[in-house]
Amino acid sequence: MKHVATPIGETKVKGLTRRALAKQQTRAKVLAAARRLFSEQGYEGATIRDIAAAAGMSTGAVFANFTDKSDLFREIMINDLDSLVQEMADAAQKGRGLEDTLLRIFTAGYAFYKGQLPLARAMFSISWSPVEGKTVRSFQAVQKMVELISEQLSAAVERGELSQEADIKLRSQMLFEAYLSNYPQAIFGGWSLDALQNRAKDQIRILLAGAKRG
Amino acid sequence: MSRTDRKEATRRRVLDAARELFETEGYDETTVRAIAKRAEVSVGSVFTSFPTKLDILSEVMGERLDELYDELDRVGHQLRGSTADRLRSLFALFFAFETRRKRLFLAHIAATYDWRPGTDARPFGRNERIKQVIRDCLARGVVAGDVDPTVDQEVVVDCLLAAYAWTYRLAAWEDADADAMSRAMDHQIGLLAKGFTPRAQVSALI
Repeated sequence: MKHVATPIGETKVKGLTRRALAKQQTRAKVLAAARRLFSEQGYEGATIRDIAAAAGMSTGAVFANFTDKSDLFREIMINDLDSLVQEMADAAQKGRGLEDTLLRIFTAGYAFYKGQLPLARAMFSISWSPVEGKTVRSFQAVQKMVELISEQLSAAVERGELSQEADIKLRSQMLFEAYLSNYPQAIFGGWSLDALQNRAKDQIRILLAGAKRG
Repeated sequence: MSRTDRKEATRRRVLDAARELFETEGYDETTVRAIAKRAEVSVGSVFTSFPTKLDILSEVMGERLDELYDELDRVGHQLRGSTADRLRSLFALFFAFETRRKRLFLAHIAATYDWRPGTDARPFGRNERIKQVIRDCLARGVVAGDVDPTVDQEVVVDCLLAAYAWTYRLAAWEDADADAMSRAMDHQIGLLAKGFTPRAQVSALI
């Protein structure tokens, strides 16, 4: 049996690969259509039926790949946030001193979402929902962002830029809150990247003031 | 009754009916038709006054908040203690007030972020009145000497509101009550206060 098993095995692998590839392409198509509709209609406004139509497939085909609308949106959010965390970490590498580094991290976020504010807006909407909000909070990428901030604070304590009593956990949390709080200005106030950056710079300074040495 | 009076009367009836229904049934569960029925007006005249259901909710919550801000204006001047303590009392009042209508507030915030054409509803978090109450509190601190006059107060207001929004999310995420939210806020106010207290006083504290 062995000598026939190998070619059959190979065919199977090839078949699976092709099927896996097709599945991946279908998912990508659905995700692209969903991203566009969430941006245009908001989370509540976009229906699975519209998303399927936009992707050129049946609602059944969408449901074969995603359990429901929130599953679909979650996938988009996770993909985006994972890329963003990486961009923030890269931006942090270029920072000089704590304030500059934090500002670079924040700016990476504002630049990332500047071109897709409607999606950011839908994400904020979800984050306030009693049902869906918890899933946003539990995203690893969100936790990684807070960790990235807290690593910068710890490094600054080691360098002697911040005092030993810097209360890193709470301060990182508050810096992250300040980072988030500027999104409504971009979403509702149409603030430019420069305006967001200037505001963030002032916020960072105030939030570090109590822990600065000298 | 003039045309304007009639219009205003309809508006009032719609708002009263909507407030009751939102509070008893919930926002998502209440239809515009149900509001019209309770207000004893036609569905058409509801839409003449308000473009969307969210605009009705916005107005209902806005009126509630006006009551809160009026109260804070009165109470604010009577608060005693350090600026940090007065801020803690103010935010404790916000949380106590808002948790009474927590579901409606959360529904409102989520809905304003969602993308619905035809509405101008905005989240309440950053409106002028709430800012003014906090500004007044800080200004008293400058006079009393525990707020550094060179610190940009608008940025402090901003950071406080950022902390406030985050803390309010705890209500959505962890079903936190007013006490839990106030405690979380107290720590954050303490940290900020170290940043806005005049340097000499911070050293004296250490």
